[in-house]
Amino acid sequence: MDLSVIGIDSNFSLVDWCIVVGYLIIIVAVGVYIKRYISNVTDFIVAGRGLKTFLAIATMIGTELGLVTVMYSAQKGFTGGFAAFHIALAASIVTLVVGLTGFIVVPLRRMKVMTIPEFYERRFGRGVRILGGTILAFSGILNMGMFLKAGSIFVMGITGMTEDIHLKIIMSVLLGMVLLYTTLGGMVSVVVLDYIQFVVLSFSLLAASLLSIRYLGWQNIIDTVSELKGSAGFNPFDSEGFGVSYVVWMFFLGLVSCAVWQTAVIRACSAENTRTVKKIYTWASIGFLIRFLLPYFFGICAFVYISQHESLKSIFIPDAGSVDSQVTLMAMPVFLSQILPAGFIGIVSAGMLAAFMSTHDSYLLCWSSVLTQDVVAPWFKKGLSSNTRLLLTRIFIVAIGIFILVWGLWYDLGQDLWDYMAISGAIYFTGAIALLVFGLYWKRASKIGAYLALICGFGAIIGLKPIQALLGMDVSSAIVGLTVIALAIVVMVVGSLLFPDRSKPSKSKE
Amino acid sequence: MNFWINFWTIFFIASLALFAGMAVVVTIGGFFNIRSLFKGLTNRVNQQEESPHKDDD
Repeated sequence: MDLSVIGIDSNFSLVDWCIVVGYLIIIVAVGVYIKRYISNVTDFIVAGRGLKTFLAIATMIGTELGLVTVMYSAQKGFTGGFAAFHIALAASIVTLVVGLTGFIVVPLRRMKVMTIPEFYERRFGRGVRILGGTILAFSGILNMGMFLKAGSIFVMGITGMTEDIHLKIIMSVLLGMVLLYTTLGGMVSVVVLDYIQFVVLSFSLLAASLLSIRYLGWQNIIDTVSELKGSAGFNPFDSEGFGVSYVVWMFFLGLVSCAVWQTAVIRACSAENTRTVKKIYTWASIGFLIRFLLPYFFGICAFVYISQHESLKSIFIPDAGSVDSQVTLMAMPVFLSQILPAGFIGIVSAGMLAAFMSTHDSYLLCWSSVLTQDVVAPWFKKGLSSNTRLLLTRIFIVAIGIFILVWGLWYDLGQDLWDYMAISGAIYFTGAIALLVFGLYWKRASKIGAYLALICGFGAIIGLKPIQALLGMDVSSAIVGLTVIALAIVVMVVGSLLFPDRSKPSKSKE
Repeated sequence: MNFWINFWTIFFIASLALFAGMAVVVTIGGFFNIRSLFKGLTNRVNQQEESPHKDDD
Protein backbone atom coordinates (compact mmCIF):
# COMPACT_ATOMS: atom_id res chain seq x y z
CA MET A 1 0.00 0.00 0.00
CA ASP A 2 1.70 3.22 -1.17
CA LEU A 3 0.27 6.12 0.86
CA SER A 4 2.66 8.68 -0.65
CA VAL A 5 0.41 8.90 -3.74
CA ILE A 6 -2.29 10.48 -1.51
CA GLY A 7 0.23 12.82 0.14
CA ILE A 8 0.84 10.76 3.29
CA ASP A 9 4.57 10.48 4.00
CA SER A 10 6.11 8.86 7.07
CA ASN A 11 8.12 10.98 9.55
CA PHE A 12 10.66 8.13 9.65
CA SER A 13 14.07 9.63 8.75
CA LEU A 14 17.74 8.63 8.39
CA VAL A 15 18.30 9.41 12.10
CA ASP A 16 15.57 6.90 12.96
CA TRP A 17 17.19 4.23 10.79
CA CYS A 18 20.51 4.81 12.62
CA ILE A 19 18.78 4.47 16.01
CA VAL A 20 17.04 1.24 14.98
CA VAL A 21 20.11 -0.41 13.42
CA GLY A 22 22.42 0.68 16.29
CA TYR A 23 19.99 -0.59 18.93
CA LEU A 24 19.51 -3.96 17.23
CA ILE A 25 23.26 -4.50 16.83
CA ILE A 26 23.84 -3.75 20.52
CA ILE A 27 21.18 -6.15 21.80
CA VAL A 28 22.31 -9.00 19.54
CA ALA A 29 25.91 -8.46 20.68
CA VAL A 30 24.79 -8.61 24.32
CA GLY A 31 22.83 -11.81 23.63
CA VAL A 32 25.80 -13.49 21.98
CA TYR A 33 28.20 -12.35 24.74
CA ILE A 34 26.04 -14.06 27.36
CA LYS A 35 26.84 -17.50 25.90
CA ARG A 36 29.79 -17.74 28.28
CA TYR A 37 27.40 -18.05 31.26
CA ILE A 38 25.65 -21.19 29.93
CA SER A 39 26.98 -24.37 31.49
CA ASN A 40 24.04 -26.83 31.16
CA VAL A 41 20.49 -27.33 29.89
CA THR A 42 18.87 -25.91 33.06
CA ASP A 43 20.81 -22.67 32.59
CA PHE A 44 19.75 -22.69 28.94
CA ILE A 45 16.01 -23.29 29.46
CA VAL A 46 15.16 -21.80 32.86
CA ALA A 47 18.23 -19.58 33.53
CA GLY A 48 19.43 -21.87 36.31
CA ARG A 49 16.12 -21.13 38.14
CA GLY A 50 17.77 -17.96 39.43
CA LEU A 51 15.24 -15.28 38.46
CA LYS A 52 14.45 -12.83 41.24
CA THR A 53 11.19 -10.87 41.43
CA PHE A 54 11.88 -7.66 39.47
CA LEU A 55 13.86 -9.31 36.70
CA ALA A 56 11.19 -11.99 36.37
CA ILE A 57 8.46 -9.32 36.15
CA ALA A 58 10.43 -7.39 33.51
CA THR A 59 11.08 -10.49 31.45
CA MET A 60 7.49 -11.71 31.72
CA ILE A 61 6.13 -8.36 30.56
CA GLY A 62 8.94 -8.05 28.00
CA THR A 63 7.89 -11.35 26.45
CA GLU A 64 4.17 -10.73 26.53
CA LEU A 65 4.42 -7.10 25.35
CA GLY A 66 5.71 -8.07 21.92
CA LEU A 67 5.24 -6.31 18.62
CA VAL A 68 2.66 -8.91 17.64
CA THR A 69 0.65 -8.13 20.79
CA VAL A 70 0.85 -4.44 19.99
CA MET A 71 -0.29 -5.09 16.40
CA TYR A 72 -3.25 -7.38 17.11
CA SER A 73 -4.36 -5.29 20.08
CA ALA A 74 -4.20 -2.07 18.07
CA GLN A 75 -6.32 -3.77 15.42
CA LYS A 76 -8.90 -4.68 18.08
CA GLY A 77 -8.87 -1.09 19.37
CA PHE A 78 -9.32 0.16 15.80
CA THR A 79 -12.28 -2.12 15.11
CA GLY A 80 -13.81 -2.33 18.62
CA GLY A 81 -13.15 1.12 20.15
CA PHE A 82 -13.02 1.63 23.92
CA ALA A 83 -15.10 -1.53 24.44
CA ALA A 84 -11.92 -3.50 23.62
CA PHE A 85 -10.54 -2.27 26.98
CA HIS A 86 -12.54 -5.08 28.63
CA ILE A 87 -9.96 -7.58 27.31
CA ALA A 88 -7.20 -5.74 29.19
CA LEU A 89 -9.35 -5.56 32.32
CA ALA A 90 -10.14 -9.30 32.15
CA ALA A 91 -6.46 -10.21 31.67
CA SER A 92 -5.44 -8.05 34.62
CA ILE A 93 -8.12 -9.33 37.01
CA VAL A 94 -7.36 -12.97 36.23
CA THR A 95 -3.58 -12.50 36.55
CA LEU A 96 -4.06 -10.74 39.89
CA VAL A 97 -6.23 -13.60 41.17
CA VAL A 98 -3.58 -16.12 40.04
CA GLY A 99 -0.92 -14.02 41.79
CA LEU A 100 -2.84 -13.80 45.06
CA THR A 101 -3.91 -17.45 45.17
CA GLY A 102 -1.03 -19.15 43.31
CA PHE A 103 -3.68 -21.02 41.29
CA ILE A 104 -1.98 -23.58 38.96
CA VAL A 105 1.42 -21.83 38.87
CA VAL A 106 2.53 -22.40 42.48
CA PRO A 107 1.93 -26.19 42.45
CA LEU A 108 3.78 -26.34 39.09
CA ARG A 109 6.79 -24.47 40.48
CA ARG A 110 6.71 -26.64 43.60
CA MET A 111 7.00 -29.71 41.38
CA LYS A 112 10.08 -28.14 39.71
CA VAL A 113 8.87 -28.99 36.22
CA MET A 114 10.39 -27.18 33.22
CA THR A 115 7.43 -27.64 30.88
CA ILE A 116 3.71 -28.35 31.31
CA PRO A 117 3.89 -31.74 29.53
CA GLU A 118 6.50 -32.73 32.13
CA PHE A 119 3.71 -32.26 34.66
CA TYR A 120 1.47 -34.47 32.50
CA GLU A 121 3.98 -37.32 32.84
CA ARG A 122 4.29 -36.98 36.60
CA ARG A 123 0.52 -36.96 36.98
CA PHE A 124 -0.79 -39.09 34.10
CA GLY A 125 2.11 -41.01 32.59
CA ARG A 126 4.57 -40.82 29.72
CA GLY A 127 2.05 -41.28 26.87
CA VAL A 128 0.05 -38.23 27.97
CA ARG A 129 3.28 -36.23 28.07
CA ILE A 130 4.18 -37.12 24.50
CA LEU A 131 0.67 -36.45 23.15
CA GLY A 132 0.34 -33.24 25.20
CA GLY A 133 3.80 -32.07 24.14
CA THR A 134 3.05 -32.72 20.48
CA ILE A 135 -0.26 -30.81 20.61
CA LEU A 136 1.35 -27.99 22.60
CA ALA A 137 4.22 -27.60 20.14
CA PHE A 138 1.86 -27.83 17.12
CA SER A 139 -0.46 -25.21 18.57
CA GLY A 140 2.37 -22.95 19.73
CA ILE A 141 4.25 -23.03 16.44
CA LEU A 142 1.02 -22.40 14.51
CA ASN A 143 0.26 -19.56 16.93
CA MET A 144 3.55 -17.82 16.19
CA GLY A 145 3.14 -18.43 12.45
CA MET A 146 1.71 -14.95 11.91
CA PHE A 147 4.39 -13.10 13.87
CA LEU A 148 6.56 -12.35 10.85
CA LYS A 149 3.60 -11.09 8.86
CA ALA A 150 2.54 -8.74 11.66
CA GLY A 151 6.13 -7.55 12.03
CA SER A 152 6.46 -6.88 8.32
CA ILE A 153 3.19 -4.91 8.27
CA PHE A 154 4.47 -2.78 11.15
CA VAL A 155 7.77 -2.02 9.38
CA MET A 156 5.84 -1.18 6.21
CA GLY A 157 3.44 1.19 8.02
CA ILE A 158 5.96 2.99 10.21
CA THR A 159 8.71 3.52 7.63
CA GLY A 160 6.47 4.17 4.63
CA MET A 161 8.16 1.35 2.68
CA THR A 162 6.13 -0.17 -0.11
CA GLU A 163 8.33 -2.77 -1.83
CA ASP A 164 7.51 -6.31 -0.72
CA ILE A 165 11.02 -7.58 -1.47
CA HIS A 166 12.65 -5.08 0.95
CA LEU A 167 10.35 -6.22 3.70
CA LYS A 168 11.05 -9.88 3.14
CA ILE A 169 14.79 -9.18 3.33
CA ILE A 170 14.43 -7.15 6.55
CA MET A 171 12.24 -9.77 8.22
CA SER A 172 14.62 -12.56 7.23
CA VAL A 173 17.57 -10.60 8.67
CA LEU A 174 15.66 -9.98 11.91
CA LEU A 175 14.79 -13.65 12.21
CA GLY A 176 18.42 -14.56 11.54
CA MET A 177 19.55 -12.28 14.38
CA VAL A 178 17.00 -13.83 16.78
CA LEU A 179 18.10 -17.34 15.83
CA LEU A 180 21.72 -16.41 16.41
CA TYR A 181 21.43 -15.22 19.99
CA THR A 182 18.64 -17.60 21.04
CA THR A 183 20.57 -20.70 19.94
CA LEU A 184 23.70 -19.43 21.68
CA GLY A 185 22.50 -17.76 24.86
CA GLY A 186 19.20 -19.53 25.73
CA MET A 187 17.10 -18.25 28.62
CA VAL A 188 19.85 -16.12 30.16
CA SER A 189 20.17 -13.95 27.05
CA VAL A 190 16.38 -13.97 26.71
CA VAL A 191 15.81 -12.54 30.20
CA VAL A 192 18.53 -9.90 29.90
CA LEU A 193 17.28 -8.72 26.51
CA ASP A 194 13.68 -8.85 27.73
CA TYR A 195 14.74 -6.54 30.55
CA ILE A 196 16.35 -4.04 28.14
CA GLN A 197 13.27 -4.23 25.95
CA PHE A 198 10.95 -3.73 28.94
CA VAL A 199 12.76 -0.51 29.87
CA VAL A 200 12.86 0.93 26.34
CA LEU A 201 9.33 -0.07 25.41
CA SER A 202 7.62 0.89 28.70
CA PHE A 203 8.85 4.46 28.67
CA SER A 204 8.51 4.98 24.91
CA LEU A 205 4.94 3.63 24.88
CA LEU A 206 3.97 5.82 27.84
CA ALA A 207 5.44 8.85 26.03
CA ALA A 208 3.70 7.88 22.76
CA SER A 209 0.34 7.69 24.62
CA LEU A 210 0.76 11.18 26.04
CA LEU A 211 1.79 12.50 22.61
CA SER A 212 -1.30 10.89 21.03
CA ILE A 213 -3.62 12.52 23.59
CA ARG A 214 -1.87 15.86 23.09
CA TYR A 215 -2.18 15.60 19.31
CA LEU A 216 -5.81 14.46 19.08
CA GLY A 217 -7.32 15.74 22.35
CA TRP A 218 -9.13 13.42 24.79
CA GLN A 219 -12.59 14.91 24.19
CA ASN A 220 -12.12 14.66 20.42
CA ILE A 221 -11.25 10.97 20.77
CA ILE A 222 -14.35 10.27 22.89
CA ASP A 223 -16.66 12.30 20.62
CA THR A 224 -15.42 10.67 17.40
CA VAL A 225 -15.74 7.10 18.72
CA SER A 226 -19.16 7.96 20.14
CA GLU A 227 -20.32 9.42 16.82
CA LEU A 228 -18.98 6.65 14.53
CA LYS A 229 -19.33 3.52 16.68
CA GLY A 230 -22.17 4.49 19.06
CA SER A 231 -22.75 2.44 22.21
CA ALA A 232 -20.87 -0.58 20.80
CA GLY A 233 -17.68 1.51 20.87
CA PHE A 234 -17.86 1.70 24.69
CA ASN A 235 -20.12 -1.04 26.05
CA PRO A 236 -18.46 -4.48 25.69
CA PHE A 237 -21.78 -6.28 26.31
CA ASP A 238 -23.47 -4.52 23.38
CA SER A 239 -24.49 -7.20 20.86
CA GLU A 240 -23.56 -4.88 17.98
CA GLY A 241 -19.97 -5.02 19.21
CA PHE A 242 -18.32 -7.78 21.27
CA GLY A 243 -21.27 -9.29 23.17
CA VAL A 244 -21.51 -11.39 26.34
CA SER A 245 -19.99 -14.63 24.95
CA TYR A 246 -16.90 -12.73 23.75
CA VAL A 247 -16.40 -11.15 27.20
CA VAL A 248 -16.62 -14.57 28.91
CA TRP A 249 -14.17 -16.00 26.31
CA MET A 250 -11.75 -13.16 27.17
CA PHE A 251 -11.76 -14.11 30.86
CA PHE A 252 -10.79 -17.66 29.87
CA LEU A 253 -8.07 -16.29 27.60
CA GLY A 254 -6.83 -14.12 30.46
CA LEU A 255 -6.40 -17.21 32.65
CA VAL A 256 -4.79 -19.14 29.84
CA SER A 257 -2.35 -16.35 28.90
CA CYS A 258 -0.93 -16.12 32.39
CA ALA A 259 -1.30 -19.60 33.91
CA VAL A 260 -1.62 -22.17 31.14
CA TRP A 261 0.35 -20.77 28.18
CA GLN A 262 3.81 -22.31 28.28
CA THR A 263 5.74 -19.07 27.54
CA ALA A 264 4.25 -17.45 30.68
CA VAL A 265 4.42 -20.58 32.83
CA ILE A 266 8.12 -21.07 32.00
CA ARG A 267 8.72 -17.78 33.88
CA ALA A 268 7.03 -19.26 36.94
CA CYS A 269 9.19 -22.38 36.53
CA SER A 270 12.30 -20.16 36.29
CA ALA A 271 11.49 -18.28 39.50
CA GLU A 272 13.65 -18.60 42.60
CA ASN A 273 10.83 -19.98 44.80
CA THR A 274 7.02 -20.17 45.12
CA ARG A 275 6.84 -16.86 47.01
CA THR A 276 8.54 -15.18 44.06
CA VAL A 277 6.03 -16.83 41.70
CA LYS A 278 3.12 -15.20 43.55
CA LYS A 279 4.88 -11.84 43.62
CA ILE A 280 5.64 -12.02 39.89
CA TYR A 281 2.01 -12.66 39.01
CA THR A 282 0.65 -10.02 41.37
CA TRP A 283 2.94 -7.37 39.86
CA ALA A 284 2.60 -8.68 36.34
CA SER A 285 -1.17 -8.12 36.51
CA ILE A 286 -0.35 -4.45 35.83
CA GLY A 287 1.85 -5.50 32.91
CA PHE A 288 -0.86 -7.80 31.50
CA LEU A 289 -3.25 -4.84 31.74
CA ILE A 290 -0.93 -2.42 29.97
CA ARG A 291 0.23 -4.80 27.25
CA PHE A 292 -3.32 -4.71 25.90
CA LEU A 293 -4.51 -1.30 27.06
CA LEU A 294 -1.89 0.93 25.41
CA PRO A 295 -2.05 -0.78 22.00
CA TYR A 296 -5.88 -0.65 22.12
CA PHE A 297 -5.56 3.05 22.78
CA PHE A 298 -3.19 3.49 19.82
CA GLY A 299 -5.72 1.61 17.68
CA ILE A 300 -8.51 3.92 18.86
CA CYS A 301 -6.34 6.98 18.18
CA ALA A 302 -5.54 5.62 14.70
CA PHE A 303 -9.29 5.22 14.10
CA VAL A 304 -9.95 8.82 15.17
CA TYR A 305 -7.01 10.21 13.16
CA ILE A 306 -7.92 8.29 10.00
CA SER A 307 -11.64 9.14 10.26
CA GLN A 308 -10.68 12.83 10.20
CA HIS A 309 -8.52 12.51 7.04
CA GLU A 310 -10.71 11.93 3.99
CA SER A 311 -7.97 10.36 1.85
CA LEU A 312 -7.04 7.83 4.56
CA LYS A 313 -10.67 7.25 5.52
CA SER A 314 -11.51 5.99 2.04
CA ILE A 315 -8.84 3.27 2.42
CA PHE A 316 -9.20 2.25 6.08
CA ILE A 317 -12.87 3.04 6.87
CA PRO A 318 -14.77 3.00 3.57
CA ASP A 319 -18.49 3.87 3.66
CA ALA A 320 -19.46 0.58 2.00
CA GLY A 321 -18.04 -2.94 2.19
CA SER A 322 -15.68 -4.58 4.69
CA VAL A 323 -11.96 -3.89 4.97
CA ASP A 324 -9.27 -6.57 4.68
CA SER A 325 -7.70 -7.63 7.99
CA GLN A 326 -4.24 -6.73 6.68
CA VAL A 327 -5.35 -3.12 6.05
CA THR A 328 -6.73 -2.58 9.58
CA LEU A 329 -3.51 -4.04 10.98
CA MET A 330 -1.59 -1.26 9.26
CA ALA A 331 -3.69 1.57 10.73
CA MET A 332 -1.72 1.92 13.99
CA PRO A 333 1.80 2.11 12.47
CA VAL A 334 0.57 4.58 9.85
CA PHE A 335 -0.92 6.74 12.63
CA LEU A 336 2.30 6.63 14.70
CA SER A 337 4.38 7.48 11.61
CA GLN A 338 2.33 10.67 11.24
CA ILE A 339 2.23 12.01 14.79
CA LEU A 340 5.60 11.01 16.32
CA PRO A 341 8.53 13.37 15.64
CA ALA A 342 11.70 12.21 13.84
CA GLY A 343 14.16 10.75 16.35
CA PHE A 344 11.48 9.65 18.78
CA ILE A 345 9.86 7.49 16.11
CA GLY A 346 13.23 5.69 15.80
CA ILE A 347 13.26 4.94 19.54
CA VAL A 348 9.67 3.63 19.45
CA SER A 349 10.43 1.54 16.35
CA ALA A 350 13.64 0.16 17.87
CA GLY A 351 11.66 -0.77 21.00
CA MET A 352 8.95 -2.40 18.90
CA LEU A 353 11.44 -4.34 16.77
CA ALA A 354 13.29 -5.42 19.89
CA ALA A 355 9.90 -6.53 21.21
CA PHE A 356 9.38 -8.45 17.98
CA MET A 357 12.71 -10.23 18.46
CA SER A 358 12.16 -10.74 22.16
CA THR A 359 8.83 -12.48 21.60
CA HIS A 360 10.40 -14.62 18.90
CA ASP A 361 13.31 -15.67 21.09
CA SER A 362 11.07 -16.65 24.00
CA TYR A 363 8.64 -18.55 21.79
CA LEU A 364 11.40 -20.28 19.83
CA LEU A 365 13.09 -21.33 23.04
CA CYS A 366 9.82 -22.44 24.55
CA TRP A 367 8.54 -24.62 21.69
CA SER A 368 11.95 -26.10 20.92
CA SER A 369 12.32 -27.02 24.61
CA VAL A 370 8.91 -28.70 24.54
CA LEU A 371 9.84 -30.70 21.43
CA THR A 372 13.14 -31.78 22.99
CA GLN A 373 12.02 -32.42 26.57
CA ASP A 374 8.50 -33.69 25.98
CA VAL A 375 8.29 -35.20 22.52
CA VAL A 376 11.76 -36.62 21.76
CA ALA A 377 13.44 -37.27 25.15
CA PRO A 378 10.66 -39.48 26.64
CA TRP A 379 11.26 -42.07 23.86
CA PHE A 380 14.76 -42.74 25.23
CA LYS A 381 14.52 -44.97 28.29
CA LYS A 382 18.04 -44.16 29.45
CA GLY A 383 17.38 -40.46 28.91
CA LEU A 384 19.37 -37.96 26.87
CA SER A 385 22.54 -36.27 28.05
CA SER A 386 22.51 -32.55 28.73
CA ASN A 387 24.67 -31.90 25.66
CA THR A 388 22.39 -33.89 23.35
CA ARG A 389 19.33 -32.06 24.66
CA LEU A 390 21.06 -28.71 24.15
CA LEU A 391 21.97 -29.65 20.57
CA LEU A 392 18.44 -30.90 19.83
CA THR A 393 16.91 -27.71 21.26
CA ARG A 394 19.14 -25.61 19.02
CA ILE A 395 18.27 -27.67 15.93
CA PHE A 396 14.54 -27.29 16.68
CA ILE A 397 14.97 -23.52 17.12
CA VAL A 398 16.38 -23.24 13.59
CA ALA A 399 13.74 -25.61 12.12
CA ILE A 400 10.86 -23.66 13.70
CA GLY A 401 12.42 -20.40 12.50
CA ILE A 402 12.41 -21.67 8.90
CA PHE A 403 8.81 -22.89 9.25
CA ILE A 404 7.45 -19.57 10.52
CA LEU A 405 9.25 -17.68 7.78
CA VAL A 406 7.48 -19.77 5.14
CA TRP A 407 4.09 -19.94 6.96
CA GLY A 408 3.98 -16.22 7.75
CA LEU A 409 4.47 -15.24 4.15
CA TRP A 410 2.09 -17.85 2.72
CA TYR A 411 -0.97 -18.19 5.04
CA ASP A 412 -4.01 -16.03 4.24
CA LEU A 413 -5.21 -14.62 7.59
CA GLY A 414 -8.92 -14.09 6.79
CA GLN A 415 -9.82 -12.94 10.35
CA ASP A 416 -8.63 -10.47 13.02
CA LEU A 417 -5.09 -11.41 14.06
CA TRP A 418 -6.18 -11.61 17.72
CA ASP A 419 -8.85 -14.17 16.85
CA TYR A 420 -6.33 -16.23 14.85
CA MET A 421 -3.95 -16.15 17.85
CA ALA A 422 -6.71 -17.08 20.30
CA ILE A 423 -8.01 -20.01 18.29
CA SER A 424 -4.62 -21.43 17.28
CA GLY A 425 -3.65 -21.30 20.97
CA ALA A 426 -6.98 -22.89 21.91
CA ILE A 427 -5.94 -26.11 20.10
CA TYR A 428 -3.62 -26.64 23.05
CA PHE A 429 -5.09 -24.77 26.01
CA THR A 430 -8.69 -25.96 25.85
CA GLY A 431 -7.44 -29.46 26.66
CA ALA A 432 -4.55 -28.31 28.84
CA ILE A 433 -6.73 -26.27 31.18
CA ALA A 434 -8.73 -29.41 32.02
CA LEU A 435 -5.56 -31.45 32.61
CA LEU A 436 -3.94 -28.78 34.77
CA VAL A 437 -6.93 -27.87 36.92
CA PHE A 438 -8.18 -31.42 37.44
CA GLY A 439 -4.69 -32.95 37.55
CA LEU A 440 -3.58 -30.54 40.27
CA TYR A 441 -6.77 -30.27 42.31
CA TRP A 442 -8.76 -33.51 41.77
CA LYS A 443 -7.27 -36.79 42.96
CA ARG A 444 -9.55 -38.94 40.79
CA ALA A 445 -8.43 -37.36 37.48
CA SER A 446 -7.22 -40.28 35.35
CA LYS A 447 -5.03 -40.99 32.36
CA ILE A 448 -7.98 -41.84 30.07
CA GLY A 449 -9.73 -38.60 31.07
CA ALA A 450 -6.51 -36.72 30.23
CA TYR A 451 -6.20 -38.35 26.79
CA LEU A 452 -9.84 -37.56 26.00
CA ALA A 453 -9.52 -33.92 27.09
CA LEU A 454 -6.37 -33.41 24.98
CA ILE A 455 -7.97 -34.94 21.88
CA CYS A 456 -11.16 -32.94 22.45
CA GLY A 457 -9.16 -29.70 22.78
CA PHE A 458 -7.66 -30.30 19.35
CA GLY A 459 -11.18 -29.72 17.98
CA ALA A 460 -10.67 -25.98 18.52
CA ILE A 461 -8.90 -25.98 15.15
CA ILE A 462 -12.34 -25.56 13.51
CA GLY A 463 -12.29 -21.98 14.79
CA LEU A 464 -9.75 -21.06 12.09
CA LYS A 465 -11.41 -19.37 9.11
CA PRO A 466 -9.75 -21.49 6.37
CA ILE A 467 -10.92 -24.66 8.18
CA GLN A 468 -14.44 -23.22 8.52
CA ALA A 469 -14.40 -22.36 4.82
CA LEU A 470 -13.48 -25.98 4.05
CA LEU A 471 -16.32 -27.26 6.26
CA GLY A 472 -18.78 -24.67 4.93
CA MET A 473 -19.56 -23.15 8.33
CA ASP A 474 -19.28 -19.71 9.96
CA VAL A 475 -19.11 -19.73 13.78
CA SER A 476 -17.44 -17.07 15.95
CA SER A 477 -14.12 -18.00 17.57
CA ALA A 478 -15.60 -17.24 21.01
CA ILE A 479 -18.40 -19.79 20.57
CA VAL A 480 -15.98 -22.44 19.23
CA GLY A 481 -13.50 -21.84 22.08
CA LEU A 482 -16.08 -21.89 24.88
CA THR A 483 -17.79 -24.99 23.48
CA VAL A 484 -14.51 -26.91 23.22
CA ILE A 485 -13.47 -25.91 26.76
CA ALA A 486 -16.83 -27.11 28.13
CA LEU A 487 -16.50 -30.40 26.21
CA ALA A 488 -12.91 -30.94 27.37
CA ILE A 489 -13.99 -30.52 31.00
CA VAL A 490 -16.92 -32.90 30.54
CA VAL A 491 -14.81 -35.66 28.90
CA MET A 492 -12.10 -35.22 31.54
CA VAL A 493 -14.60 -35.77 34.38
CA VAL A 494 -16.61 -38.54 32.68
CA GLY A 495 -13.47 -40.31 31.40
CA SER A 496 -11.88 -40.21 34.87
CA LEU A 497 -15.00 -41.54 36.58
CA LEU A 498 -15.57 -44.33 34.05
CA PHE A 499 -11.91 -45.30 33.62
CA PRO A 500 -10.04 -44.58 36.87
CA ASP A 501 -6.27 -45.19 37.06
CA ARG A 502 -5.32 -48.62 38.42
CA SER A 503 -1.98 -47.45 39.77
CA LYS A 504 -0.33 -44.07 40.13
CA PRO A 505 2.21 -43.28 37.34
CA SER A 506 5.77 -43.43 38.58
CA LYS A 507 7.67 -40.17 38.92
CA SER A 508 9.98 -39.58 36.00
CA LYS A 509 13.58 -38.59 36.32
CA GLU A 510 14.53 -35.56 34.18
CA MET B 1 -23.25 4.97 27.36
CA ASN B 2 -22.12 7.79 29.69
CA PHE B 3 -21.36 5.26 32.40
CA TRP B 4 -18.95 3.39 30.11
CA ILE B 5 -17.32 6.63 28.87
CA ASN B 6 -16.58 7.72 32.44
CA PHE B 7 -15.57 4.22 33.49
CA TRP B 8 -13.02 3.76 30.68
CA THR B 9 -11.67 7.30 31.14
CA ILE B 10 -10.92 6.76 34.83
CA PHE B 11 -9.69 3.21 34.15
CA PHE B 12 -7.27 4.40 31.46
CA ILE B 13 -5.79 7.27 33.49
CA ALA B 14 -5.42 5.12 36.63
CA SER B 15 -3.77 2.32 34.62
CA LEU B 16 -1.27 4.70 33.01
CA ALA B 17 -0.29 6.14 36.40
CA LEU B 18 0.03 2.67 37.94
CA PHE B 19 2.16 1.39 35.07
CA ALA B 20 4.44 4.45 35.10
CA GLY B 21 5.15 3.82 38.81
CA MET B 22 5.72 0.12 38.24
CA ALA B 23 8.04 0.74 35.28
CA VAL B 24 10.32 2.87 37.47
CA VAL B 25 10.39 0.33 40.33
CA VAL B 26 10.94 -2.69 38.04
CA THR B 27 13.66 -0.90 36.04
CA ILE B 28 15.69 -0.18 39.18
CA GLY B 29 14.98 -3.52 40.91
CA GLY B 30 15.62 -5.49 37.70
CA PHE B 31 19.06 -3.95 37.30
CA PHE B 32 20.15 -5.25 40.71
CA ASN B 33 18.55 -8.66 39.99
CA ILE B 34 20.62 -8.99 36.78
CA ARG B 35 23.81 -8.34 38.74
CA SER B 36 22.85 -11.04 41.19
CA LEU B 37 21.90 -13.50 38.40
CA PHE B 38 25.29 -13.14 36.72
CA LYS B 39 27.08 -13.54 40.03
CA GLY B 40 25.25 -16.85 40.56
CA LEU B 41 25.86 -18.08 37.01
CA THR B 42 29.56 -17.19 37.17
CA ASN B 43 29.87 -19.31 40.32
CA ARG B 44 28.09 -22.21 38.60
CA VAL B 45 30.37 -22.00 35.55
CA ASN B 46 33.43 -21.96 37.83
CA GLN B 47 32.13 -24.99 39.75
CA GLN B 48 31.43 -26.77 36.45
CA GLU B 49 35.01 -26.19 35.34
CA GLU B 50 36.31 -27.58 38.62
CA SER B 51 34.09 -30.74 38.43
CA PRO B 52 33.32 -31.29 34.71
CA HIS B 53 31.45 -34.62 35.23
CA LYS B 54 28.61 -32.96 37.09
CA ASP B 55 25.69 -32.56 34.64
CA ASP B 56 22.55 -30.48 35.00
CA ASP B 57 20.09 -30.84 37.87
